[in-house]
Amino acid sequence: MQLLVQQIVDGLAAGAIYAALALALVLIFGATRIVNFGQSEMATFCAFLAWQLCEWGMPVALALSVSAVLAFVLGAAVFQLVVRPVSRASAETVVVVTLGLFLAFQALCLWLWGSDQRTFPALFPAGGWTVAGVRLTANNLGVMGVLCALALSLAALFRFSRLGLGLRAAAADADKSTIVGIRVEAMLMLGWGLASVVGFIAAVLVAPRLFLSPIMMAPVLVYALAAATLGGWTSAIGAVVGGLVIGVAESVGATFLPFIGSELRLLIPLALTLAVLLLRPQGLFGQQTAVRV
Amino acid sequence: MPSTAAARFDRPQSARIAITRHAGSVPLALALLVAVLLPLMLPNFLLMQVSTALAVALAILGLNLLLGFAGQVCLAQGALFACGAYTTAILVAQGGWPALATLPAAAAVAALAGIVIGLPALRLGGLQLAIVTFGVAVLTPQVILKFDRLTRGVTGITFDPPAPPAWLPVRPDLWLYALCVAAAAACAVLALRMTRDDSGRALRALRDNPLVATSLGVDLVRARLAAFAISSAFAGLGGGLFAILNGYVSPQSFLAGRSIEILIGAIVGGIGSVSGAFLGALFVVFVPEWTAELSPALGGLIYGACLIAMMLLARDGLVGLARRIAPTVFSLARKVLSTGTAAAAPGSHDNQETSP
Repeated sequence: MQLLVQQIVDGLAAGAIYAALALALVLIFGATRIVNFGQSEMATFCAFLAWQLCEWGMPVALALSVSAVLAFVLGAAVFQLVVRPVSRASAETVVVVTLGLFLAFQALCLWLWGSDQRTFPALFPAGGWTVAGVRLTANNLGVMGVLCALALSLAALFRFSRLGLGLRAAAADADKSTIVGIRVEAMLMLGWGLASVVGFIAAVLVAPRLFLSPIMMAPVLVYALAAATLGGWTSAIGAVVGGLVIGVAESVGATFLPFIGSELRLLIPLALTLAVLLLRPQGLFGQQTAVRV
Repeated sequence: MPSTAAARFDRPQSARIAITRHAGSVPLALALLVAVLLPLMLPNFLLMQVSTALAVALAILGLNLLLGFAGQVCLAQGALFACGAYTTAILVAQGGWPALATLPAAAAVAALAGIVIGLPALRLGGLQLAIVTFGVAVLTPQVILKFDRLTRGVTGITFDPPAPPAWLPVRPDLWLYALCVAAAAACAVLALRMTRDDSGRALRALRDNPLVATSLGVDLVRARLAAFAISSAFAGLGGGLFAILNGYVSPQSFLAGRSIEILIGAIVGGIGSVSGAFLGALFVVFVPEWTAELSPALGGLIYGACLIAMMLLARDGLVGLARRIAPTVFSLARKVLSTGTAAAAPGSHDNQETSP
């Protein structure tokens, strides 16, 4: 029982990271109906930028802020240069382009910083508490706190601000939004920039847990894709819930299912994805879109 | 004057008709001629690489059919390739089969695996299938490691490549090359036939508008599963050849990068074209070879840049690009050499199409 609770707590912390990246994916899907396979590697690139700034002697907080701004610029630039020209093309085309982003950014990190693993500065103190035999580390709590703050601020932005309204309108109907004076292009660019920042936050949360390396985020991407699918691609709440569910399922499954063990961990998100797609294709919180033919 | 203008107008058109009529046989014959001449010109190690490229080309050809004609984004082609390679290796090393006899088995096992992947694809849209198959591609090496009693885990399986039959006095590598060429030619012919007859038409109809196609009597389940089965069988055959060429398989050869590489080959060569598959295979086999000396990251950068650039500039790949540029080149050539170009035009077109 104690082991189970411990696995759930650890799973929630890992799930918070998957949820953060899934939020980024869902943001982009909401704005442009594109699944960005390159999200994780763009995030890794920005995390490397932050690390580099720290190495050059910048205080950690400042380095993270500067990198977040750079991440925003990167996301907007990628949209403008690479994604916008193909945004009306078929799904296959767009998938190929974002896979190209995945490869290009991974190779770029490898090229600039090599394949060595680097120690990323810890964001949270090392200590922790033991409650009823279950270990709660400050890092795990911190990660979950960041996820909550991130989800709430995004929700507030979309629900209550004028900018959020514009973002939602541009995503829902580009033509009508243009008529009422919303600058759709700018909104989509903003959406990609925001998503890039959210992805960067996910990478910064991962980096101290593992080590910083060019392939650090690739497995996280698989989990995040599963989380977004589980929650429903059209729902931000779904991404958060999906991420947490996947995290817990992975952690509990790897411990208690002898066949899975630690080697086949990746099978869990894959199986969950497949099950959701076959049973409830729109996801737990997603809306089914009906098309008139 | 008007008569010469008419003649000028007529010639390229008649040439084009002739090309479409013989599009299947002429490039194929030329490609076979090149294939026969290559061993005479290339040193041994390059010939081995060309053989590897042919094995990879089979997997790419399979993806080409799936992506270009059925419109299904399968990112797990590397997994099916691995399926074929391991079937061959296990049957030879542990079952004692002769290597050549394992190739049909490799194709069959991969086809079965492809149908299993294709089953959910019946209900999933393009994006969702891409997500699921991306997961399959990442999971492949883990699965190989998990079943280490069969696959011998990280160590991999080593076995003897088949020797040429006693009546044929050729070097072993030449024999392997001949096997690859034969398999590639057979698959290319099969693919050409498939894309030109009714089944190809049915697949394209399903890709463009499933609703209309099914209401016109196309059996979606059968056509799509058949596409997956054939595409995977090609990949499995390629994988089997790949295993025979190396005499060794290990999980390292079948990381997620393999699936992405096969996709890159398909995109660069041009989806929906058979010659493009071979062009793409040469690209993914030789480019990393050349760039690895400069920097290990350069290959990835080139791959990524190529994927994006191809989608932005030439969605139909190098072959499509050649087809579009060809008429412009002809008309330019015609301006430069005002006479006797009509006979040369179809020839140069064929060269461009079958340069692999």
